[in-house]
Amino acid sequence: MNPFPRTSRIVASLALALASLPTLAETLCLRGAIVHTVSGPSLTNSGVLIRDGRIVAVGNDALFASADRTVDLPGLHLFPGLIAPTSILGLIEVDSVRATRDTTEVGDFTPDVPAWIAVNPESELIPVARANGYTHAQSIPLGGIVSGQSALIRLDGWTIEDLAENRAAALHLFWPSHSIDTTPKHLSGNPEKWKSPEDQVRDREKRLKEIDEFFHQAEAYARARRAAGLGDAPSLAAEAGAGRPIPTVATNGFTLVPAWEAMLPLLSGSQPLFLHADETAQIRAGIEWALRRKYRPVLAGGRDAARLAPFLSSNQVPVIFEHVFTQPTRDTDPYDVHYSAPARLHVAGVTVALGEGTDRFGASNIRNIPYAGAQAVAFGLSRQEAWRGLTLHPARLLGVAHRLGSIEPGKDATLIAVTGDILDVRATVQHMWIAGRQISLESRHTRLHEKYRNRPRPNP
Amino acid sequence: MSHGDRLPALLTLILLLLPRPNAGFAADSIAPPGFTPLPQGTHALVGARVITRPGTEFNHATVVIRDGRITEIGPDVRPPADARVWDYTGSTIYAGFIDPYVMAGSTNRPVVTSGSEPVTLASGADPRFFGVPGQERDPGATGPGSPIRDITPERRLASTYSPDARLVESLRELGFVAAAFVPHRGIVRGQGVAVSLGETGPAESILRADTAQHVGLAAGPEEGYPKSLMGVIAALRQTWFDARWYHSPAPTTQRRPYNTASVALLPTLTTNNPQPVVVETGSALMGARALQLAAELGWNLQIVSSGQEWRRPDLLENSNVPFIVPIAFPAAPKLPDDDAWDSLSLDQLRQWDWAPENPAVLRRAGIDIALTTYALPDRKEFRRALRSAIDRGLAETDALAALTTQPALLLGLSDRLGVIAVGRPAHLTIVEGSYFDPKAPLQSVWVDGIPYFIQPPAPKAVAAASTNTPAKPKDTDLRRIAAEPRIGRGPLAQPPALLIRNATLWTASDRGILTNTSLFVRNGRIESIGAEPEPLPADTLVIDATGKHVSPGLIDCHSHSMILGSVNEATLPSTAMCRIADVINSETDNIHQQLAGGLTIANLLHGSANPIGGQNAVIKLRDGAGPDALLFKEAPGGIKFALGENVKQANWGERNTTRFPQTRMGVGTFYINRFTAARQYAEAWERWNRSDRSTLSPRRDLELDAIAEIIVGTRLIHCHSYRQDEILAFLRVMESFGVRVATLQHILEGYKVADEIARHGAGASAFSDWWGYKFEVIDAIPYAGSLMHQRGVNVSFNSDSSDHARRLNTEAAKAVKYGGTPEHDALRFVTLNPARQLRIDDRVGSLEPGKDADFVLWSGPPLDSTSVCLETWIEGARYFDRSLEPARANLLETERTALIAKARKTSTKSDAEGPPTPATEGARALFFQRALEHARHLGLVDCQDCDTVNRP
Repeated sequence: MNPFPRTSRIVASLALALASLPTLAETLCLRGAIVHTVSGPSLTNSGVLIRDGRIVAVGNDALFASADRTVDLPGLHLFPGLIAPTSILGLIEVDSVRATRDTTEVGDFTPDVPAWIAVNPESELIPVARANGYTHAQSIPLGGIVSGQSALIRLDGWTIEDLAENRAAALHLFWPSHSIDTTPKHLSGNPEKWKSPEDQVRDREKRLKEIDEFFHQAEAYARARRAAGLGDAPSLAAEAGAGRPIPTVATNGFTLVPAWEAMLPLLSGSQPLFLHADETAQIRAGIEWALRRKYRPVLAGGRDAARLAPFLSSNQVPVIFEHVFTQPTRDTDPYDVHYSAPARLHVAGVTVALGEGTDRFGASNIRNIPYAGAQAVAFGLSRQEAWRGLTLHPARLLGVAHRLGSIEPGKDATLIAVTGDILDVRATVQHMWIAGRQISLESRHTRLHEKYRNRPRPNP
Repeated sequence: MSHGDRLPALLTLILLLLPRPNAGFAADSIAPPGFTPLPQGTHALVGARVITRPGTEFNHATVVIRDGRITEIGPDVRPPADARVWDYTGSTIYAGFIDPYVMAGSTNRPVVTSGSEPVTLASGADPRFFGVPGQERDPGATGPGSPIRDITPERRLASTYSPDARLVESLRELGFVAAAFVPHRGIVRGQGVAVSLGETGPAESILRADTAQHVGLAAGPEEGYPKSLMGVIAALRQTWFDARWYHSPAPTTQRRPYNTASVALLPTLTTNNPQPVVVETGSALMGARALQLAAELGWNLQIVSSGQEWRRPDLLENSNVPFIVPIAFPAAPKLPDDDAWDSLSLDQLRQWDWAPENPAVLRRAGIDIALTTYALPDRKEFRRALRSAIDRGLAETDALAALTTQPALLLGLSDRLGVIAVGRPAHLTIVEGSYFDPKAPLQSVWVDGIPYFIQPPAPKAVAAASTNTPAKPKDTDLRRIAAEPRIGRGPLAQPPALLIRNATLWTASDRGILTNTSLFVRNGRIESIGAEPEPLPADTLVIDATGKHVSPGLIDCHSHSMILGSVNEATLPSTAMCRIADVINSETDNIHQQLAGGLTIANLLHGSANPIGGQNAVIKLRDGAGPDALLFKEAPGGIKFALGENVKQANWGERNTTRFPQTRMGVGTFYINRFTAARQYAEAWERWNRSDRSTLSPRRDLELDAIAEIIVGTRLIHCHSYRQDEILAFLRVMESFGVRVATLQHILEGYKVADEIARHGAGASAFSDWWGYKFEVIDAIPYAGSLMHQRGVNVSFNSDSSDHARRLNTEAAKAVKYGGTPEHDALRFVTLNPARQLRIDDRVGSLEPGKDADFVLWSGPPLDSTSVCLETWIEGARYFDRSLEPARANLLETERTALIAKARKTSTKSDAEGPPTPATEGARALFFQRALEHARHLGLVDCQDCDTVNRP
């Protein structure tokens, strides 16, 4: 039995199209689809014209008569490629097997730890994310407070250099928890290490001071560097990543320090600060601190963000919400407190992107992020906003909205064709193009499916 | 000073310091030289208010004591000429108080009700279990008693009792003349001893030896089985069964292994006035469970209150079981900032606000209570705590009975203690005023006719006390503002008849999807589909479901969401004797949250830490009902099995490498071993049952009982399984024992052997698309459900997660996405198919006339991920109604806000009275002990694929 009766015709026509592989100079027309531009309206019976990997035009078929090649997508929905704004994709393979985990480094302040060099291009998890429409993901290094430099990776390529769209997409700051462990000493698992609530608050204040001091020192370094005439452009990581020689002696009498160098993009304003926090007090403290220091914080996690919606809105702090399916944490919360949080944030004027987060499912479960969006729609968010939360908003937060995140002329032809709304669990992704190139949707899962679907039935 | 005749202070001191070996026994005997001579033995206590028993009193009466006994009482009694006269005008004379539950010389805390249970992942300790390398037949240290080191009923405090002068005095200072000292360690702890609290030697002090057998419903300190709450209950059951077997009649030629534990339990088994079994329950639900255990095991039960009975007093009504009640109440905490205050849960605030009312709650439920100083952070706080309990509704006569007649009854000392009566030993408690005024000084206690004078507190302490104790609490402080926790829980509506019109019905039956159809329900059952009765009964509730969809109630074939304590008894490789039904948590918020996603039935399973786990329980989510009322009674019993990485302890760390099995080879070996043992066991029983039964019966073994039930087909196997090799090997082993496996759980590689599974006839209860977390899921694919379905396997999708259980409908939709299962078939993955797997499909799982009216009203198609569950109905009663949710949440938050304000005020006031005493600190620590029922509120458990305990 063919599980895809409705789409067999398309598959056949596409196979023909692929038989003559396009050159990049060729123009390709995708037509007959429902085009969800995401930035603007959704267009029925529409198409996209692609040249040199870019979108040239979006609209009615008639415009595209000049295309070298045409692919019919009747009844399919075209969306921009999905972007996972927080993940550990490529850094982990099998959670319980330590040898396959490259997510978490030791040390509290390690801004010079880059994720991109540890992303395994052959990870089986990448094609699985792709199979449900993900073309990009931010892979985030974990561990400590300032954990390092995330990478925006394109989910296609032969090498880490192919994959890394941006080797230093953001700096990640994991704000310390503000919750207090109120376990009585005699019930504590480790009575010797038990601390009173007051002591815990003191410890936290000390911790926050350390964070502040770290960024002070980073800024002092940047000033000294400028004073030495070296400017703001970081050198060490870029040079090491490119294989160029690293200056081994002080330049102009100024010693380059890898960790401080890694802070420069943030301090010069060219890199966003991803601030990871979930609890009300933690979010408030972290964001207030970041605003005070004039960084551009993006709140990641954001479990309790809806409680602070006016504050986040008035300070224009966007949220990557990772908790649609987190159970209520307070026994007075309505059962749908996290289902409805994206809608409530949106109504308050906060930009909401949807992420899976960086826990142990932060790679394997990327394919299900659209259904967090669907649940948010079920509980009040508009479909358009949910789509944006999966595409355009992550692109903006990662500084690539000029190329990704919507279907608009001038942007990369990074698209997916889906049998229905990408929010609908029942819909399947049929085709994917990244920068105009058709990408395979095969994965370990589809291969095993094919293999065992065809297992001969044993003799009765 | 209202009475003039006091012993000189020096004499008091001497009386306190010197042992008086004969007091109360032969007051006429002469102490050897060097001992202070015994005082003269005739006394007349005059002028006092004498309360002879609760509710009976004389004003201005005289009590005459001669040689330690009361000889006369009454208003007109004249002091005998030889009597020493004590003027007690203005004082009250009570029968001497009794504390029925004192733990001496231990740092033992009350059975802990907070947090998760620590689990030691050690090898088992049951020598009857075959297969743990290094396991000795004699594990040492325990002697010939129970193989479980925390079960020591043979301990007798009477044989080692030695009065601790300081402890004894501290009890007298509170007015106690007698107490039962109870053993503190373990699960079955041993036997207590009742003693008088005079300054006598151990032998003279003992009023009654072996007053009761003491049990704590929590894992003990020793390594090994049991370490979970359900394991503790299973161990208790086995221990008492063993004792019965040990004492069952048998020819003298048949020898039983000598068992000190069984010997010691004999007094609890006698039909005539059996020795009481005193159980410390630790939680509200375990109080109700103890009642059932008592009925099952024949206990003469007394319960030590957990302080939590206010949560479910309905479960205790009509039990006639007395409670020993600690009055350790939490104090409002001191918290560093607003955020910390705001983080307090409603439940812990309620616990704080309800606590002082708990003794009154017990009395209102018709329960007899005896009070104890047990569990107080500082025993000196007893009278103040008692005052709080009285202020919150405990009648003074009840409080007095709880200090006198009730404990006397519990300890079997009613003939000697508890009332003031002629002929009784003179045990008296004398207070200048009322005992229930915590500021009224205690004057003296009389033990066996000997007066012991209470030292007034040191002047400094007096000053502190006078400023610390507010004159009279204001009414507002006394009022409880916390609501009853059952308010707002279901059923929300229970119409006699119900008609849903114009709905799209997803029947999950052969009729498929019916549009624009009606569903008529009467008496909790579906009566008709597509046809309305004419005329419609007058009291029919009619719901117009135009544009809406109705599906059967969703069924989760793999849940751990409503389990009290550990999900795993992770110690032994086989824990078939453990029963989830013993530890159903009816109070968790998970029930409400899952109802809100359309779930109506959950298969509660033991975890997957061992090849043979515990017995499951199938429940209906009738929110508000108690644990037993949640049970789906007609569902056949089952048991959890597990294969693969979890049971071979692959991810338990390098230290766990000695429990058998450590490989998939060993897993198969293990099953053959246990099933063979169970078969032999069953045969032994059969032989005995066929015989004239004059010989000794086989020993009942609860582990083998359960496995034997599997072999005869009355217990269903639900087996956690991953890889195709282990799946097939397991099916074959079971086939060789004639067993058909009911479900293979998770079954990630089941698609590789789908034909074999179909032919065996096992159901597949799968994850929809979970993968990537362990090596053995390397070949997990989301197409598995569809592939197995296409090859004729009955497939369900389960949650194994308190999150996923809230949205099984969209989990089912993944079978449409991956592999193209038709939508109606996919919905069956979470309705009819799990019902078939649990053998309850004659009652539930589809919308068909005659079946239970368990259904869900959806805003759109149930497989559409943007549809919302609007209402959930079970047996014709509404348990979830989305339209009521905003008001519900609002109500709870309003209550919490008010409670926080009250707690802050109380805390501030307490701080204003000076630096916190150790007693205050202790009471504040109690505030943070979470009830076991809510310990997992923050989602600590909810382990998908949980093997060890609570992987964060």
